[in-house]
Amino acid sequence: MNVIQCEDLTKSYGKLKAIDYLSIEIAENKITGLIGRNGSGKTTLLKMIAGYLKPTYGELKVFSEKPFNSLFVSENSIFIDDAMTFPDSFTLTDILTEVAPFYANWSSSLAKGLFDYFSFNPKQPHSNLSKGSRSTFNSILGIASRSPLTIMDEPTTGMDSGVRKDFYRALLRDYLEYPRTIILSSHLLSELEEILEDILLLDNGTKRLHLPVMELKELAVGIRGNAQAVLSFVEGKEIIYQENFAKGSLYVVVRRKLIQHQFEQIRLSGLEILPVSADDLCVYLTAKTKGGIDDVFKRG
Amino acid sequence: MILNTDSMKPLYVQIAEWLEGEILSENIKEEERIYSQYQLAEMFTINPATAAKGLNILADETIVYKKRGLGMFVSPNAKQFILTKRRSRILEQMIMELVMEANRLDVSESELNRMIQLARQNKEEKQL
Repeated sequence: MNVIQCEDLTKSYGKLKAIDYLSIEIAENKITGLIGRNGSGKTTLLKMIAGYLKPTYGELKVFSEKPFNSLFVSENSIFIDDAMTFPDSFTLTDILTEVAPFYANWSSSLAKGLFDYFSFNPKQPHSNLSKGSRSTFNSILGIASRSPLTIMDEPTTGMDSGVRKDFYRALLRDYLEYPRTIILSSHLLSELEEILEDILLLDNGTKRLHLPVMELKELAVGIRGNAQAVLSFVEGKEIIYQENFAKGSLYVVVRRKLIQHQFEQIRLSGLEILPVSADDLCVYLTAKTKGGIDDVFKRG
Repeated sequence: MILNTDSMKPLYVQIAEWLEGEILSENIKEEERIYSQYQLAEMFTINPATAAKGLNILADETIVYKKRGLGMFVSPNAKQFILTKRRSRILEQMIMELVMEANRLDVSESELNRMIQLARQNKEEKQL
């Protein structure tokens, strides 16, 4: 069953199309990573799914309903980001108590367990939390709500690496016990990818890729070595990325499928075949130029 | 396909190989139940779909088999099978490297074959 389904979904801010004719489906009980460069439309998409923003055009269904102004979607989803605000007079404990009735699957024991583990002060007001602590606290709400649709926009902003690891593990363990549909947006794909099932890569408001992480990691390979030899193998093939890293040497990234049958010949020619990380590949695929930042420094 | 990317092996392959190691060391014995995808997901902090793919590799190679409603179990000859498989894979890799080194050193195919024959003869003579 698909929890989220959209067709030609569009959101414009004036002349700018933040989401541009996007069609996707997200199946029930999967953990999906929403990846994209700054300004690629991640937050806009998530806010439309959560019912915070109204689409300009196209169809969007969440649990088979239009999410905007839908009580049913509100009841069954939670949207976590670092801009969540709570009444100033509430302490952290007050918040944990007061949010509980809004979420049918809320686990007070899990919320309390995580709250104590991360050593929060029960009497502290939410507005006084540091950036990382605020993200951690908000993430506790996200996990403990056990919402059938849990959406987290950049949940790890400001968290130190120890807390991030704990957060990923807590989320995964609770998901294993209580499966639900989870969407996480993040810039830290390399940290996140192990707990993801699918990746949705956005580029300028459009879908660049939507596939299982395992397939993404095998989508492309890098070939490195003598420039002429490298070029002879990739000639006529789409080059995802290329970099001159030493005199007469070249590093090129191409789709694995296009070149797989030549792997042995490539190695016999003394070239290296290297795996391309999911993180790097996403950057290459959404880059404006094929040479990355180095193109800026090219002379003549 | 032979790739020297051991450290960058896909996660599910690493899971499959770890399980093979557990079978070889008899931490999990033949006819015993192997970890479920959920147990593996929790142990390694990975998505259960990734763990399932690792288990499926073993199932495809008949190292484990499914008992309906009970989970996956280690096949009767799993240990021997893994040993044989690993031996042949290591040998293939060594031969590949041998061929590449021979090419780099301009050793022709017939020369290489002669060297292999000679090595085998020498070994047989020593054994006699």
